[in-house]
Amino acid sequence: MLTTTDVVGGYGSVQILNGVSLKVVRGQIVALLGGNGTGKSTMLKVLSGLIKPWRGSIVFDGERIDGMRPDRIVRRGLVQVTQGKEAYPAMTVEENLLLGAHVCTDRAARARGLARAYEYFPILKERRRQLSGTLSGGQLQMLCIGRGLMSEPKMMLLDEPSAALAPQLVLDIFRTIGRICRDGMTLLMVEQNVRMALLLAEYGYVIKDGVIHLEGPAEKMINDDAVRLSYLGGTVAGRDEKMAL
Amino acid sequence: MSYFIDLVVVGLSLGMVYALVALGISLIYSGLDVVHFAHGEIYMFGAVIGLFLYDEFHLPFPLVLLGSMILTGLLGVFIERVFYRRILRTGGGYTVAGLGMVICGFGMSIVLQNVAYLIWGPKARPFPVTFGMPVELGNITLPAAYVWIVLAALVLMAALHIFLKKTRLGLAVRAVAGNKEIAYLMGINVPLTISVIFGVACALGAAAGVLVAPINYVQVLMGTGVLIKAFAAAVIGGFGSLPGAVLGGLLVGVTESLGAGYLSGSYKDIYAFILLIFVLMVRPAGVFGVLVKVKA
Repeated sequence: MLTTTDVVGGYGSVQILNGVSLKVVRGQIVALLGGNGTGKSTMLKVLSGLIKPWRGSIVFDGERIDGMRPDRIVRRGLVQVTQGKEAYPAMTVEENLLLGAHVCTDRAARARGLARAYEYFPILKERRRQLSGTLSGGQLQMLCIGRGLMSEPKMMLLDEPSAALAPQLVLDIFRTIGRICRDGMTLLMVEQNVRMALLLAEYGYVIKDGVIHLEGPAEKMINDDAVRLSYLGGTVAGRDEKMAL
Repeated sequence: MSYFIDLVVVGLSLGMVYALVALGISLIYSGLDVVHFAHGEIYMFGAVIGLFLYDEFHLPFPLVLLGSMILTGLLGVFIERVFYRRILRTGGGYTVAGLGMVICGFGMSIVLQNVAYLIWGPKARPFPVTFGMPVELGNITLPAAYVWIVLAALVLMAALHIFLKKTRLGLAVRAVAGNKEIAYLMGINVPLTISVIFGVACALGAAAGVLVAPINYVQVLMGTGVLIKAFAAAVIGGFGSLPGAVLGGLLVGVTESLGAGYLSGSYKDIYAFILLIFVLMVRPAGVFGVLVKVKA
């Protein structure tokens, strides 16, 4: 579905990505992991078109999208879900959602998108007339995921869906992300919460200093000593959490 | 008492004109983060194009208004695409390029004045449209032109409100005003939306010019005074706030009219700025403004 080959890029003259190659198979959840300043957010911006890669290619659904303007990438069905804090606070919940359906000019498609977002997140329906600035952190994250679903994309890029959330909320959000995937969505998830991300995902990449440092099936990675030592704080993955998901 | 009401009504109708220009300035500011200093000339072009449509094609006044709004709006889009956008290519986006844009706005103001001067000459020309009998409101009589100004401005403001709140494009305009990066991620064509913002703002300025033309003369330098007062209106209301721009415009209009009526007509231009200084002393961010504009 999405293949990147040797993507090099950065901001201004500062090179951050030193050749990132990764692959996301249709219907899978893939986790892109790494600490602060390793390049995972930059990679996301390159994929969504906010910054242009200097070299390398990005192929989405059989078409080159590197260097394409972000709105054109959205039209092709690749949507970035922003972090919760990036909802428009001065707009209502429903307006924020409708913004996600900007590329759909068809009224019926917009209504369908709303129904779908409300089905995954019933709380949003209750709050639809409220300004999104009044929502809690968890609700904002739900709003942003719902907003990403609105244009009925083929694939979504998730930007740290667990950022600044309480553990119980993270579990709720991740459970819904799993459901969205089972309903036919392909997902690339950038995460700092390595354990949870690997429990949910099928495949994982660890990015370090702008290159893919480690990769493998999530099952294997979570038991891998190198990953465990550097990212999981040496603890064993929780079986209970796996069950909960 | 009826003299007072007279002055208030005249002030309100002039205030509507300031409000329309201030709305354009605020719209551009909230969308692009720059203050557009050539907006007075856009207002002048609106009036001049309106007069041209009236003289050449003898269109009825509502069509003159509409035609001038469309043509001036397109002129605004042209100016934004061809000149202002080039400054942005130097990098940094609208916020960083702000100072360059301000200077470019001043330059554009001079260019537009001289273009109008070359085409139409320096003479002040009347806009000889007649609106029929004066309107009787209780015990005051009002020239119909003032009623026209108020009604047309109200219709335009309502249309702007509906556009921003209810339409897909209006929602996109608000998104671009809030945060351009996120707007891009929503699939919004940001450069196109910026052109739309510019076009709408210029169309509103043109409407103000056409509406005021029948009670004033049409001349090349008519934009400078109005720009500064509309600017004062926008600041009084809270810069970037659209309801603030309307309220500020009305306050400036009424203050000016009352001052001219009761104190002295020859100091007419001062009153708006006395009001401005007073408001800034009491509420530095303007009536509807927030002191620090947070853009996520």
